[in-house]
Amino acid sequence: MTSARARQRPTGNGGPYSAESALGGHAPALQRTGRSLPFSDERHLQAHHWLVEEAYLLDAQHYDEWLDLLTDDIHYLMPVRVSTALGAGYDSAPGMAHFDENKYSLSRRVARFATEHAWTEDPPSRLRHYVTNVRTFATEDPGHVVVDSAVLLYRSRGDVREAAVVSAGREDLLRRASDGEGWLLARRTILVDDAVLRTQNLAIFL
Amino acid sequence: MDDQSHLLEEVRRGMIPAHIYNDEEVFRLERERLFSRAWVFVGHESEIPQPGDYVVRRVLEDSFIVARGEDHQVRALFNMCLHRGMQVCRAEMGHASHFRCPYHGWSYRNDGRLVGLPFHKEAYGGEAGFRRKSQTLLPAPALDTYNGLIFVSMDPDAPPLRDYLGDFAFYLDYYTRQSPSGIELRGPQRWRVKANWKIGAENFAGDMYHTPQTHTSVVEIGLFREPKAEKRKDGCTYWAGNGGGTTYKLPPGTLEERLRYVGYPDVMIERMKQVWSPEQLDLVGHDGFMVSAASVFPNLSFVHNWPRVEDSDDVLPFISIRTWQPVGPDETEVLSWFAVDAEAPEEYKALSYKAYLMCFGSTGMFEQDDVENWVSLTSTAGGSMARRLLLNSRMGLLEDDATVVPPLPPERFSGPGEAYVGYGEYNQRHLLRRWADYLERPAESAERIHVGRGGKAVTA
Repeated sequence: MTSARARQRPTGNGGPYSAESALGGHAPALQRTGRSLPFSDERHLQAHHWLVEEAYLLDAQHYDEWLDLLTDDIHYLMPVRVSTALGAGYDSAPGMAHFDENKYSLSRRVARFATEHAWTEDPPSRLRHYVTNVRTFATEDPGHVVVDSAVLLYRSRGDVREAAVVSAGREDLLRRASDGEGWLLARRTILVDDAVLRTQNLAIFL
Repeated sequence: MDDQSHLLEEVRRGMIPAHIYNDEEVFRLERERLFSRAWVFVGHESEIPQPGDYVVRRVLEDSFIVARGEDHQVRALFNMCLHRGMQVCRAEMGHASHFRCPYHGWSYRNDGRLVGLPFHKEAYGGEAGFRRKSQTLLPAPALDTYNGLIFVSMDPDAPPLRDYLGDFAFYLDYYTRQSPSGIELRGPQRWRVKANWKIGAENFAGDMYHTPQTHTSVVEIGLFREPKAEKRKDGCTYWAGNGGGTTYKLPPGTLEERLRYVGYPDVMIERMKQVWSPEQLDLVGHDGFMVSAASVFPNLSFVHNWPRVEDSDDVLPFISIRTWQPVGPDETEVLSWFAVDAEAPEEYKALSYKAYLMCFGSTGMFEQDDVENWVSLTSTAGGSMARRLLLNSRMGLLEDDATVVPPLPPERFSGPGEAYVGYGEYNQRHLLRRWADYLERPAESAERIHVGRGGKAVTA
């Protein structure tokens, strides 16, 4: 198999999605370098810790605190996956995504949940984000790391409906906070594993 | 069907037996009598611009390869190998000169013609045993387009699409023909909701009444410039031909000022003035109405709105096209596309896409609350108590069937059809009356096709 062909195969995490989005122009373009860092590497431990803390905020729907973990230039992207022939060279709908967000649009979504009229989350869903398969990579800039993870969201609403499950791979670009303490999310690509979502909407974050 | 005729009469009176939103028998009739005949939207020509491009779309369970052949013609080919019935295309979209069945290797050109039949001579004795010549994948019984929108019908005797659309074509142009180049479509986002397909179609056709309640939150967060969702009652609903929709009333001004008010840049306004008829321009410029949501019977809907997409006072319009594809009586697959004028400036296209994502589709802040309601409604409609309940869908009508307000006179509404200002369920009744007409008519049996034998052959 040629390396060109290999590049065309689905990666499950990351890829050129952010750069190809019409709304991704503002986004940081840093990419991973080399193999994943050892699990004992301080940066990996911090990145993993960050993801677990973030999952707690998303489960608890503490979205104001979650917004504070995002950089002002964040690109938060969830492409629409499509089934294509092996070797087609793409696995997502050209020019279309579920989420293709910047800080402003994410802040509007969060503000909506804070009103008393966001019916789709009143009563709120019971959410659990399971985060696993974490791999951390260095970038050319010591102030940034790329982190791959798998996330499984269990979303249960009401008492009679079947719960929804959303499985996805994520590639995050984390940036060291300016005060040197902790990390902020600068870019996230969510590669959902379904072409047809089995949840009534994405009034949640992944 | 005898026991359903009473049901259909109730529907025609505007009294809706609640269980029609979740009932196996009703769904069986919809499958046999409605989706077997009506024109159903499957895609847009801009999704398959080059010869060899294809997308795979369904009408209920039937999978069709919607492909552009080397002759540039668009076809909808039933995605079933003529030999053992395997799907010959298992991708959702792509580019191919041929489709080869993975089972025994029969292959078809992208116009449907059977061109490869391994061991034709040895296995079948050549043409004497299996007539390969002129065999094609089964084409959709009828296919037609309007403004690049591709529809299929399972009825070979379906009326021409333009006749089926009727006067609704006037309104379709606002969504799909803002310049001579028409629209380009992106997507679709697809997701399944545990809701009956009719609810979305009815809602988009005419439910201005839900906006102030369901969508309060998007006004509160400043996404929507209209100061109060109650403004909706100043708009009107219209029904024309085989579809209808809702409008907003725009502030006073000229045509240009009103189009600018919803966020269209001047270059786009100039093109609208070229392609829209005087009546189409007057509906906006003279009457002050701007189309918003709409539905074409049975399950195609449109939406046009103009939210804020950045932290400024500017708004920007977007257009979405969607189908409510029935999966079962209590489940619908939503296919939601973003549509934009092909000649629009690139920056406009990007921000209009942003506006779409913020408002509609799988993550849209309007749509999120709609679906919550529809899922809840469908779930409740499945029980025995729902069978006792006739929902009142007579808003806008008095007891004697006179309307609460008179229809708009031609000097205040330049479009075809009948339009009423304010809240009413005129369009929902129109939609369900058509639904009742289809459900009443028994299905005719379709002609059967014998593959590779004498008699009726499928020809290219």
